[in-house]
Amino acid sequence: MNAQNINQKPVVKRETKNKIRVDFDRTPLKDRLKAKFLSFHFIAKVVLWIFRMVLMIGISYIVLFPFLTKISGSFMAPEDFVDVTVRLIPKHFTLDIYRGIISELGYWEAFMNTFTLSFCCAIIQTFICCLIGYGFAKFKFKGRNLLFLLVMLTMIVPHQTLQLSMFMEFRYFDIFGIVRLLKGGGIELFGHNIKDLGEGVAAVFEKINILPDEIKWGQYFTERGVEKWKVQMEVTEAGINLCNTYFPLVLLSLGGLAFKNGLYIFLLRQFFRGIPDELEESAYMDGSGTFRTFIQIILPLSVPMMITVFLFAFCWQWTDDFYTGLFFSSTNVNLLTKIVDIPPSLKLEYAGTDLYNSAIRNTCGLMIIAPLVILYAFCQRFLVQGIEHSGIAN
Amino acid sequence: MTKDVKLESAKAPKRKKIASLDRRKARAGWVFVLPFIIGFVIIYLPMIYESIMLSFHKLEIAGGNKAGYDTIFVGFQNYSDALFVDPNFVQTLISGLKQLAFDIPAILIFSLFMAVMLNQKAAGRGLFRAIFFIPVVLSTGIMESIAAMDIMDDYMGSDEGIDDGSGQSAAQDLVSTMDMERLFANMKVGEGLVKYVTEAINNIYDIVNRAGVQMLIFLAGLQSISPAIYESCKIDGATAWETFWKITFPMISPMILVNGVYTVIDSFTTDSNAVMKYIANKYSEADGNVISSAMAWMYFLIVILIVAAIASVISAFVFYQRKND
Repeated sequence: MNAQNINQKPVVKRETKNKIRVDFDRTPLKDRLKAKFLSFHFIAKVVLWIFRMVLMIGISYIVLFPFLTKISGSFMAPEDFVDVTVRLIPKHFTLDIYRGIISELGYWEAFMNTFTLSFCCAIIQTFICCLIGYGFAKFKFKGRNLLFLLVMLTMIVPHQTLQLSMFMEFRYFDIFGIVRLLKGGGIELFGHNIKDLGEGVAAVFEKINILPDEIKWGQYFTERGVEKWKVQMEVTEAGINLCNTYFPLVLLSLGGLAFKNGLYIFLLRQFFRGIPDELEESAYMDGSGTFRTFIQIILPLSVPMMITVFLFAFCWQWTDDFYTGLFFSSTNVNLLTKIVDIPPSLKLEYAGTDLYNSAIRNTCGLMIIAPLVILYAFCQRFLVQGIEHSGIAN
Repeated sequence: MTKDVKLESAKAPKRKKIASLDRRKARAGWVFVLPFIIGFVIIYLPMIYESIMLSFHKLEIAGGNKAGYDTIFVGFQNYSDALFVDPNFVQTLISGLKQLAFDIPAILIFSLFMAVMLNQKAAGRGLFRAIFFIPVVLSTGIMESIAAMDIMDDYMGSDEGIDDGSGQSAAQDLVSTMDMERLFANMKVGEGLVKYVTEAINNIYDIVNRAGVQMLIFLAGLQSISPAIYESCKIDGATAWETFWKITFPMISPMILVNGVYTVIDSFTTDSNAVMKYIANKYSEADGNVISSAMAWMYFLIVILIVAAIASVISAFVFYQRKND
């Protein structure tokens, strides 16, 4: 076939001023299709494509199915859970569960509180981890490796190990005994208090009592007219009680010690290492200081990576129930992670109670992550984009 | 010559007033990591110190009008109690370690495989990427504990009545061991491997859930391999299989080290880990149950040892590309 074609002379089909269109007699369509679709290469490609798609769709199904059951269960009426013919599609469509959660469990208040907390913590964590990661990536100083080992250590120590002492730390918060001193408790050194030296000394130290017994602000009244404070901290000689405020988590974030911050620091360090040094050097040449270079040149370059870290920090803080369970014990601060419960009006006793309660809990979960889904939809493209520029390999 | 030396020595004292660039950079480095240093010294060190101290003490509710607890030093009693008196701790620990030996290869292989799949340019790549990273972002913390109490999932997935009774549903048991064994019987790959694969497939949801960050790190690694290498491979006539083992695998081996260490740490410290659950239960059982502290520290030591062991084993095989720039 081909040999024939070559022997044929090309035919000039059309000629204009500066274009000539030349056409050979083409191979018949049938042969062209045969050559294209019956080759081994093509068949291998199709088989691979089918294999890939089956695998991808299968795993997507595994990921999405639990969410699907949760969504369908959330619209079901109690009758549907004892009806054997009902599986994924509700027979008696109802919004009772959503209504119950919003009105009886205080969803909106919890939502606002959680949003404030997660947003503050995520912003602080992103910025602080950027600072620390940049410090480790671009500067050589003594003890750098040791310090980085300590960062890794904070990641390796399971937080359950520190549960009790972490609670104590923030229940009686005191830095180097400053609060004790200002509260008239004197100075404690190696288990002995300076006040024990004599009554005169004790009297002097007791005069220093400048801290109030209670720090509180943000007064508001509940629907029943009960007086409440947004922030209420008790101050004693033993320290300030920071529980039931946002301070413990904010302080942990400020020190780069909050949940998984070691991972963020590691990722950011790798990212900053990938930025060529020449960029900063030219900035220094132009007379820009280290911090100005960092803020004005490095940070704008690393927006995708920062969004990745922010997304992780925000979402993991949002769904975190370990720290919030540890620090928020009172009912003053309602958080989303604490609303998982059965609303009083939906408490039923019948054959399907277990399933129904499970469906209600699942709906709580759905409503907790609903805002995150929206955030994720906007941010997910940065997730890979940010990481893929990090050049972790080097 | 002598003149030059003199000139330099005359200049030197003047220069000393301004710190050298290296010095200034070192100082700036300290300033950048300062938040961590302050946080570590003020918050973290006291916590660790107190926690270690607590594990050597016993708490007793203070008598008289004193509030709070009294601490009594008991030495290693908590540790020996955890090891020899507590009936379940050692068992939980050993089964937890066994689970880990199962989990780490499964998670690493799965995440590497998925990262390679997601890295290929094909239709729907963006969509699948978005779906695969849903669990790592959303199914954490409170969602995990909700999922643990969830019985809806099994019910919806099953094709039998409400009182199935078998405790197993269609969704849960994607592949039955029998089917797989029949499939592999003629391939002579050994019973252990078959069991491993079936178990991994039955736990696929768990594995997908926990492989998110690893997948992300592998993807980043794959992206950083220069396409020129693949091109020259293709020209030399290497197959895809050869390219993977000779190019992709060595190039990504540093990432395998990172992910191996991360997986160990992550699966050791999640709330769903059996040992972690046991320790948390012990903690909440009674206020001032310090034995949980001792257990946690022993557990931590084991984790460190395993991390060090795995890191040293994997790093022997890691290939580092020499930097040309």
